[in-house]
Formats: sequence, structure tokens, C-alpha cells
Amino acid sequence: MMLKKLKHSKIKAITVLSSLFLAIFISVPIICVVTHTTLSALMTSLASEEIQFAIRLSLETAAISTIMCIAISMPAAYALARYDFFGKSVINTILDAPLALPPLVAGVGLLILFGTTSFGKALADAGLVFVFTPYGIVIAQFFVNVPFMLRILRGTFQSINPRYEHVAETLGCTRAQAFWHVTLPMSKNGFLAGSVITWSKGIGEFGAALMLAGATRMKTETLPISVFLNMSCGELDLAIAAATILIIISLMSLFAFERYGGFAQVF
Amino acid sequence: MIRIEHLSKDLGEFFLRDITLDIEDGEYFMVLGPTGAGKTILLETIAGIYRADSGRIFLDGQDITDIPPRERNIGMVYQDYTLFPFLTVEENIAFGLKMRKVARSEIKRRVDELANLMGVVHLLHRYPGTLSGGEQQRIAIARALIMEPKVMLLDEPLSALDPQTAERLRQELKNIHSITDTTIIHVTHSFEEAFLLGSRMAIMNKGEIVQVGTPNEVFRKPNSEFVAEFLGVGNLFQGESRIDADSGIASIDVGGINIVSATLKSGSVHVSIRPEDILVSTKQIVSSARNSFKGKIAGIVDAGTILKIAVDVGIDTPFVVAITKRSFDELNLKMGREVYITFKASAVHLF
Repeated sequence: MMLKKLKHSKIKAITVLSSLFLAIFISVPIICVVTHTTLSALMTSLASEEIQFAIRLSLETAAISTIMCIAISMPAAYALARYDFFGKSVINTILDAPLALPPLVAGVGLLILFGTTSFGKALADAGLVFVFTPYGIVIAQFFVNVPFMLRILRGTFQSINPRYEHVAETLGCTRAQAFWHVTLPMSKNGFLAGSVITWSKGIGEFGAALMLAGATRMKTETLPISVFLNMSCGELDLAIAAATILIIISLMSLFAFERYGGFAQVF
Repeated sequence: MIRIEHLSKDLGEFFLRDITLDIEDGEYFMVLGPTGAGKTILLETIAGIYRADSGRIFLDGQDITDIPPRERNIGMVYQDYTLFPFLTVEENIAFGLKMRKVARSEIKRRVDELANLMGVVHLLHRYPGTLSGGEQQRIAIARALIMEPKVMLLDEPLSALDPQTAERLRQELKNIHSITDTTIIHVTHSFEEAFLLGSRMAIMNKGEIVQVGTPNEVFRKPNSEFVAEFLGVGNLFQGESRIDADSGIASIDVGGINIVSATLKSGSVHVSIRPEDILVSTKQIVSSARNSFKGKIAGIVDAGTILKIAVDVGIDTPFVVAITKRSFDELNLKMGREVYITFKASAVHLF
């Protein structure tokens, strides 16, 4: 009996210690970044033109790519949740692919598509240049993050009984009105969770954006690119300022996601 | 009135096959059947949520087969209420009129009227998530009724409720029907509900309608083994019940004989006794069972290991008794033989 208890507590001690070790291992590097410079140096860097530019570009590109993710995912997720059609499982698999694909590889693919094919050239001739421009950042973020939005919305729509729409139709709604007046308000949390995760992942997007949009100071310099550029040339204060903002944004979105999106299945 | 002609719909798991039905104006029509019989999809196809594969549906002579639900003016109430969780009770009831762009003051007046009728005035500012099942179902009914539908479709509206709430709401459905005179099609798997509410009923099985008639007709003359098995009650009588306060039992006069029941209910009642709860013997037996009658075997139906025999005790309908083949042989029963039937007061169900 005693032996059993001892054994049990041993297991408890080992497992609890492992979790504690993990927590420390994760928080220490974060604390290292934040405490590496003095507060005044941080403030000066934050006020610099370059960091201001990076903040603005990051916020804007992430916001635009999030809106694009919503606009495309909403109808696509609805179809995948409500209808059975030929090739549905193939489409589901393809739409999940960017989750497994290294972003760098995705970026190479996008670069080849927009830089070398006649499709890319036609777009460039029409004024939509994605290679080495901020547009490229948006497209890269969209490509990498759209599966998250799609999965969350698909799960959300699946969780809503279609009978709500049926009842709305008998109460005078068209199919579209039933979706707008009933399904959409009921999916509010899913949209919130999807937007938060897509937006915050967009802010942090590096690999794909680097390949397609490049790392040009004051042109395609988002916060992660800024960390990369300034670390490469030894501007430690600027790099840490950008990194600190990235940490703050990720903590805030983690909090928001836990709060509104706990139910949503991402993986 | 609703006329359904040769309606078919295949949704894979659930389907309808060649449904033909006529439902009169103001009728309370019941659709009864086991799970998976296609009852819900019949309602949903009438409402227009699914487009029929073949066949036609007419409402007041107009062919509505191909028009969308919103133009049919048919109300729908589901078993699980389906109230919109993000709207208050008031907004839920007002939903349809708002879609019709009715003037605000008129909506207010109608919502109050319906809330009064359904007894939910005190709940108008609450959200559905905080309400009991019975309250939610009243609101769902009010939300459908406010549209003044030509037909109300009720899909097992009482099945998710506890017995007391279900009984109260059942009574109210009857009242609403007599007040509004709306045609109602009510789907259920409860024979008791069908019997108490329906002026006529249809029995469904495997996507088809197997029998239509008044509850009495269907019960007395099931046209197939399926219907007889499904209804399964066996013995059903009507009578006047009096409660004897001293002994705490009810005594029911069913046209010649007095049946004693442990269910305390007075007035005009239905009496049901399951065939397997009745004992048959060749001599009168002394036991604690309160009901014992002498009769003659008027019919024998061989159904494998269980036999059903009809025993005529001198009233309009014979008792149906289920016994095993072995007992049947041992008792040496045959047509016309004199027997006694015995059953306990607790086996007599009143409703």
C-alpha cells in the first residue's frame, strides 16, 4: 500500500516537474527579449521612423489578409459544412495543405507563380505586382493563414443545426436572408476566433512573405522582417523593439482566442 | 385544405415514397410512426424546405410544389424548439412580422396578443437559453402562430418535455386549435397523443403511409400487422370513471362491466390494458387481482410462439389476451370455450 502510494507520488512528481520545466523554458526566452534593453532605449526605438513603418505595414497587411480570408472562407466553409458534392473530401484535404507546408516553400511557390508564369505577368501588366511589393505580403499571409479561418468557420457552421435556417425560411426569409439574419449572428464567436488567430498569425508571418515580397527596408519591412533585418546588421535595439511588439500582440491574441474561441477546433 | 398527390423525396437516410393525403381545413391531423419512418421529412417537404422529387402539393387548390417556403404561409415548430438564441423572446416572436416589414406598432400589438395567448408575457425580455423546455416550446408556437399560417406543422412538439409539462401543453394545443381554427399537422410517435388530439391520423412506416382514419378506426381495424404491432396497446375501451375515495381506486363503467384501475382519473376516460397483462384460465381463480370476468373465446390468432385470443365477455369489443403456445396447448383452449380473464388494477391504464 505504502509502496503503491510512493510510486504514485513519484509519477506525480516527475510529471509535474516536466510541466514546470516546460513553462520555464518557454517564458525565459520571452523575458530575455523584453529585458535585454533599457526602457528608454526601447522607447527611442519604438519612436523611430523604421519601427513605426514596420508596425503600420504589419497591422495593415494583416488586417487586409484577414478580411480576404473571411470573404473567401465564409462561403467555402458554408458549402463544406452544409452540402455534399463530388470531390468534397479532396477539396478538404487540399485546403488543409498549407497547414503542413513550410511557409518558406509556400513562398517559393507563390514567387514562381507570380514571377514567372504568364498568369503572374498578366496580373503585373494589369497593375497587380505581387513580387517584392507589400501586395506580396498580403498574398503570402492569405495563403498561409486561410486554412485556419476555413477550419474554424467550417466547424462553426457544422455546429449550427440547419433547422434554424429552415424555421427562418418558414418565417419569411429567403435562403440568403436566413443565412444573414440567423446563421451569421449565431456564428459570431467563430468569426471572432477566426479573425483573431488569422490576424495575429498574419502579423507574425515571415517565411512566405520573405520569399515573395523580399526584405526591403522601409518597403516590405513588416515587424518580423524588421527583426530579421536589424539582427542581421547588428541593430539590436531596433530588433528588440520589433520583437517586443510581436510578443505583446501574440499574448493579446492568445488571450482573446482563449476567451472567444475556446470551442473552435483548429486542428 | 391540403392535398398531397404521389409525393416522393429521397434524402438517402430518410425518404418519402408515393405519399397521397387529403387534409381538411381546420383539421387536427396526426402523423404517427416509428423513428425513421420519414415523418419529419414529410413535414419539411410540405413546408418547402425540401423540393419534392415527384408528386404535387396543393394548398387551398393552389399548386405550391415549386414555390419557396416563405411564400407558402406554413408554420413550423420543431421538437428542439429552435428559438434564435441571440434574440430575446419578444424579438423571436416578432421575427416573421419583421421580415414581412409590418409596422412597428402593429408588431408590438401582435406580439403582446400571442404572448398572452401562450402565457409567456413575463418572459418577453429574457433570452431563450435561460428558459425551460415548456416555456421555449410555447414561444416557438407563438413565433409560428403570429404569421397567421394556413397550416401549422408540429414535429414532435411534446417529445422533449417532462410528462406534466407535456400534458399541459397538449391541452393548450387543443385550445389553440379551437381558438384559431388553424389546420394542424402534428407528428408524434405517441399513440396517446394521437388519440387525444387528432381528429384523424395517418400511420407511417418506411417512407409510406400505411393507414389513414380516425384514431378509433385505425385502432379498431388496423389494416396490417405493422399497424397492429406498432399501436400495440391491444385493449382499448371508453367509459365513465368514478374514484372511490375509501379504497383509493377508480372504477370505470365500460358499457356493461366495471373495470377497476389504480390510475386515479375521473370523468370520461380511455382505458387500455396490454394483452400480455391479462391472465386466462379455465376455472375462476382466487387472487389479489381486482378484475376478473367470465367470457367465451371468440377468436384465435396464431402469431408463432405467442398466440392472441379474443375473449367475448358480453360487451361491444372482446378482450385481446396474449398467451404462449405452450399454455394454449396445456389449457386445451379452442373456439367457443368458456374461460376467465383476470388482470390487476395496476395493469389498467387510464388516459
